Amino acid sequence: MRKLLTAAALMLGLTQGALAADYPSGTVTLVVPYSPGGNTDIFARHLATALSEKWGQAVVVENKPGGGSMVGTAYVSQAQPDGHTILLTTSAFATAPAVYKDLPFDPVTEMKPIGIVGYVAYILIVNADTGIKTLAEFVEKAKGSDMFAATAGLGTTTHFGMEKFLSDAGLDLDIVHYKGGGPAMVAVLSKEADVFDTSVPTAADQIRAGKLNALAVMDDRRVTALPDVPTTTEAGYPDVQVRQWIGLFVPSAVPDELVEFINTEVNELVLSPEFQAVVAPIDINIETSSVAEVNVRLSNEMAKWKKLAEERGISN
Amino acid sequence: MELLGNLGMGLGVALSLTNVFYCFLGALLGTLVGVIPGVGVLAAISMLFPLTFTLEPTTALIMLAGIWYGTTYGGSTASILLNIPGTPANAVTCLDGYPMAQQGRGGVALFMTTVASFFGASVGVILLMLFTPVIASYALKFGSAEYFSLMLMGLVAASTISDGSAIKGLAMVALGILFGLVGMDTQSAAARFTFGSLGLLDGISLIALAMGVFGVAEVIMSIRRVGTSSIDPESVKLKAIKPTRDDVRRSWMPMVRGSTMGSFFGTLPGTGPSIAAFLSYAVEKRISKTPERFGKGAIEGIMAPEAANNAADQTAFIPTLSLGVPGSATMALMLGALMIHGIAPGPTLITSQPQLFWGLIMSFWVGNVILLILNIPLIGVWVRMLMIPYHLLFPSVLLFICIGAYSTTYNALSVWQVCFFGVAGYAMRIFGFPGAPLLLGFVLGPLMEEHFRRAMVLSRGDFATFFERPVSAAIMAITGGILIWGIWTSNKLRKRRAEELARET
Repeated sequence: MRKLLTAAALMLGLTQGALAADYPSGTVTLVVPYSPGGNTDIFARHLATALSEKWGQAVVVENKPGGGSMVGTAYVSQAQPDGHTILLTTSAFATAPAVYKDLPFDPVTEMKPIGIVGYVAYILIVNADTGIKTLAEFVEKAKGSDMFAATAGLGTTTHFGMEKFLSDAGLDLDIVHYKGGGPAMVAVLSKEADVFDTSVPTAADQIRAGKLNALAVMDDRRVTALPDVPTTTEAGYPDVQVRQWIGLFVPSAVPDELVEFINTEVNELVLSPEFQAVVAPIDINIETSSVAEVNVRLSNEMAKWKKLAEERGISN
Repeated sequence: MELLGNLGMGLGVALSLTNVFYCFLGALLGTLVGVIPGVGVLAAISMLFPLTFTLEPTTALIMLAGIWYGTTYGGSTASILLNIPGTPANAVTCLDGYPMAQQGRGGVALFMTTVASFFGASVGVILLMLFTPVIASYALKFGSAEYFSLMLMGLVAASTISDGSAIKGLAMVALGILFGLVGMDTQSAAARFTFGSLGLLDGISLIALAMGVFGVAEVIMSIRRVGTSSIDPESVKLKAIKPTRDDVRRSWMPMVRGSTMGSFFGTLPGTGPSIAAFLSYAVEKRISKTPERFGKGAIEGIMAPEAANNAADQTAFIPTLSLGVPGSATMALMLGALMIHGIAPGPTLITSQPQLFWGLIMSFWVGNVILLILNIPLIGVWVRMLMIPYHLLFPSVLLFICIGAYSTTYNALSVWQVCFFGVAGYAMRIFGFPGAPLLLGFVLGPLMEEHFRRAMVLSRGDFATFFERPVSAAIMAITGGILIWGIWTSNKLRKRRAEELARET
């Protein structure tokens, strides 16, 4: 099977023109703008292993954490535009620029997407001791209350997802920022904060253990890990759609045909049953799209978050 | 009875040939990484992380954990022999460990810290075994107000670390806090003191600061002193590592107190072994009848922090394994190793993966015994490191420091930071400004700010929150007590000194 795939890839490669045929001509670096050990980092490491097998070149992961993913992003924006330095980041690419004003680079003009390859669904959670079981109950109780909403940090996907939900539900809770998803989850477990939106894999175990109640999946389809939890669409908030996606980016000076080539190669790889089996334990849903689709989706998303940031006064 | 059954099962897992081998490998690598200043545990574990893809999750975790606690064993070696902390958790061991080495008691210091490490680790593992299922719940009692109070207590207690001028000590704490402010403000995303540099957005590197102030500065100082190694070759011999009866007598209580404090601070996310070591040193100095011996080779000053940091290393697994909440980046990596294999860390881990949980815990015993056996015969080898001529040793130390600083961020800016803090640290030595309070202010300052501001949001701006919440109020009361005690004892000390002066004249 693998041989067949390699052969297919080789044939595909031959039709791609001279530039792409040479690629990769040396070590390819996948830059992850987070510390090692998280979901995104693990995904990147699996992808790197699979890509280096496919390409016959070393593909290595380099962690450049900091500044809500912006340090690593800035690093890649300054890299050689030969496609050998690729940023593997999350939806923070779209949310963080709406908050961080002093960035010494422009992610819109200096970077361009190769593709979005996977996503993790988000879920709204409360402490089980509150007895709140549905989103409707929560909105009822939260109206005019002095509750706190936790986020995994300013400008993260959890922050924007929470603001979007509060805005659509007409709630006015105070936002408390924590340093990462772990501490925010502890805050809900210890009742310091009342509600938090987190990725499904990180909360699933606590939900099954009966310590947290899941109110709604912030998506239009239910998740297999928690099939009984309704979606925000079902609960009457169709615009509250928050996915932490994983995407690949390169500096904008990289030629378009090379971007197309990497897009095809990566899409083919992540759709293979072997790769799906490897990443299944980390609960990342694989999805693929063309370069054109990603560009449209990205600019829509960035516009949406920028507007929300202005409306909710979170852009300072 | 159930506990005994679990322990038996865990021991079975830990003693399988594969697991013992990887445990040994981890412990050995950890010791090496610890001994070499600059190569941090995080760098070592992330380099070996891909190796765990192919291992069984239990085996992978056993190896990574071995590296983690192994570094703390090895780290004291560099502190004692070179006055450069092998890891930040061993920084405080320099204060009394290095003077001991200069007095020709380096072998004794190495032997005793190994014993202290083993003792502290044992206490930590016992607590881990007995209380993980129970103890996790008390970490949930700690909110931002409690963390702030706790760190304030840490700062007040540790301001006594500074030898000599209290003003200089306080100035260094303040400077440390100021350095800690550099970077992105987590509550408003404003960039502070970054001067447009993207690399500074994430703040000054802790490794760079510690390595510069303690490591580079020490190397420059030693070059100025010239001369060959001042260590007596006789102290290398095995018989020279035997502690005197007085050493043993003095060591008992510091080990017990250090282990207790270390076990407590290990379980709290965000504090960890470094702060545990600092605080236990401060406590020993405070309660000692002869505080003037500290900083001049007092054995209590190495036993307490080494017991504390090893106990903290072990108990750090309590929140990680029972709640799935990592207290540090290293612990986050451990959880990452589990997630790769599809094991979700959380409150159900102990019941759903008993083999893994108890196997890992029992492997800590295996690992610590391995380290004890490994370290004592190696003392001779480490001490001989000092026989290496300085013109070879120092450049290689500087090289390792730079590699270590670079490998934490893969950014050349970190190396420049090492240079900056090396020069600053040298100037501080010359003018008699202590380095430890600077490091402590740097570590605690940003954490205090984060928790203070969050506590303010949660109390909607009411300062009384620190005194209304019972746990926080209790910590505040202790802090007040320490402050009063500090003033009282320093008054007494001043009086005694004045009397001595009067008698002499």
